[in-house]
Amino acid sequence: MIFVNISIWRAIYEEEETIGGVQFKMLITYIVLGFLLQSIFAMEEYLIENKVRSGLISSDFLKPISFRFYIFSYNMGTLVFKILMQLFPALIVSVALFGMLPPFSVSSAVYFLVSAMLAYLVLYNLNFIIWMSSFWFYWTFSLVTIKDAAIMIFSGALLPLWFMPQWIMDIIWFTPFDSIYFTPISLYLGQIPADETIMCLVRQIIWIVILFGIGQAMWRSANKKLVVQGG
Amino acid sequence: METKGTNKIAEFIYLFFIYSKLNTKIMLEYKLDRFLLAFAVFFREIISVVVMVLILTRFVHIKGWEMNEMLFLYSFLFLSYSLFIFFFTGIRDFDDMVYNGEFDRFLIRPLGLMFQIISSRIDYCATVGHGAVGIILLLHTAGSAGIEWNARNLLYYITALIGGAIIQASLFMLSSCFSFWAVKTTNLRNLIFFNSRRFAGYPISFYPAVIQKMLIFIVPFAFVSYFPAQFFLRKPDIEMFWSGYLYLTPVVGAAMFALVYAFWRLGLKSYSSSGNSMY
Repeated sequence: MIFVNISIWRAIYEEEETIGGVQFKMLITYIVLGFLLQSIFAMEEYLIENKVRSGLISSDFLKPISFRFYIFSYNMGTLVFKILMQLFPALIVSVALFGMLPPFSVSSAVYFLVSAMLAYLVLYNLNFIIWMSSFWFYWTFSLVTIKDAAIMIFSGALLPLWFMPQWIMDIIWFTPFDSIYFTPISLYLGQIPADETIMCLVRQIIWIVILFGIGQAMWRSANKKLVVQGG
Repeated sequence: METKGTNKIAEFIYLFFIYSKLNTKIMLEYKLDRFLLAFAVFFREIISVVVMVLILTRFVHIKGWEMNEMLFLYSFLFLSYSLFIFFFTGIRDFDDMVYNGEFDRFLIRPLGLMFQIISSRIDYCATVGHGAVGIILLLHTAGSAGIEWNARNLLYYITALIGGAIIQASLFMLSSCFSFWAVKTTNLRNLIFFNSRRFAGYPISFYPAVIQKMLIFIVPFAFVSYFPAQFFLRKPDIEMFWSGYLYLTPVVGAAMFALVYAFWRLGLKSYSSSGNSMY
């Protein structure tokens, strides 16, 4: 998958020296970083759905621990595991194989780390909304697929958003998508001017709050309407 | 003997029709869900096309390929996959049948195993999802890529699509053969099939030589999209390959299917039930 992307970009690059003012190395770094973030941000999409459909969720409700906290901790555990077991080996391979660039500066490295953590929370809260919808729909495969596709294209996971036409960018600005991959990777590359950096982080936080709020509301009403089909 | 043979074929067609009717009924049971599913598949697949278009609008062409021509090449991938899913969903889901014990029921019925596997499932959602993307791409590019649609080309086009569908069916069957020994083979299949499929969306001349060889000789996706498209377009990079490849799609399909079928028969001998039949 990543090899495909890199091969395509290499083929394009052989035609022209620079692409929209962006150096080839930077582009490769973007693509690799996007790929690495995607692979560690991948979450278990059907955990709640399976519990709702099998009725096991009723026993989760009885346990003396907040169900949402349990789900969050579960995903955090997966994240830590993935960082240790997948990210570090993959990072070494990518630096050796693709010639990935180091962070633009020390401060951009720090901003990247902070922003990546916020990005995870944005994605988590967005996913949580989709997961919660299984209380109403029971099957969420199509919703999850549509959401994944939307994230793929609008968050800049596959393609840097500076390749997008302006009118799509204007729409994306009103969505949480670019906070997920585009913001942290741009910070890593030093593509965002220093005075806008804080603004970007604040935007991520605002989206976390909004998405968390929606998730909270859904959680409340789901609690009221939970129907267990057998068990 | 003669009449018995024709009767048998008529019987198969009749049974296939019954199976299709059942599958359609299953699908219509959850109309909204299935509609959403088809839409989701469509949306997921069109994303890769959109990415391609977005990359290419910046450049007039890559290695002599223009956008319309690349989209024409891409349409082969979607249409042949759609065709494959329409006829051979059973092969796609075969490891599932082994896993949940459904295959055990087939073994005790007085009917050909392959026939039962193939006709027992149809996934209309994936057919429609992939097919819609393919048709949109084809309609968009059939005229503008400068292709003359005479009878000879049309015949080639249809043969290439069928050949491509059979190549993909063979690849799926190959991976599901391993479910005789390993029960669950989804990961293996994703590794073999979907990764190579991503490569095949672009002209294979873009890739390093190793990957080109792999797509021709090991996982022959080049015959699903690149060579059929080249038959019509004749871009200069065809010089890199033997020109006979252009006509080999159906041959590769038939040969692969025969090979994989023999392998499948071999695997069948060592089949032992997974023991979790739920029916």
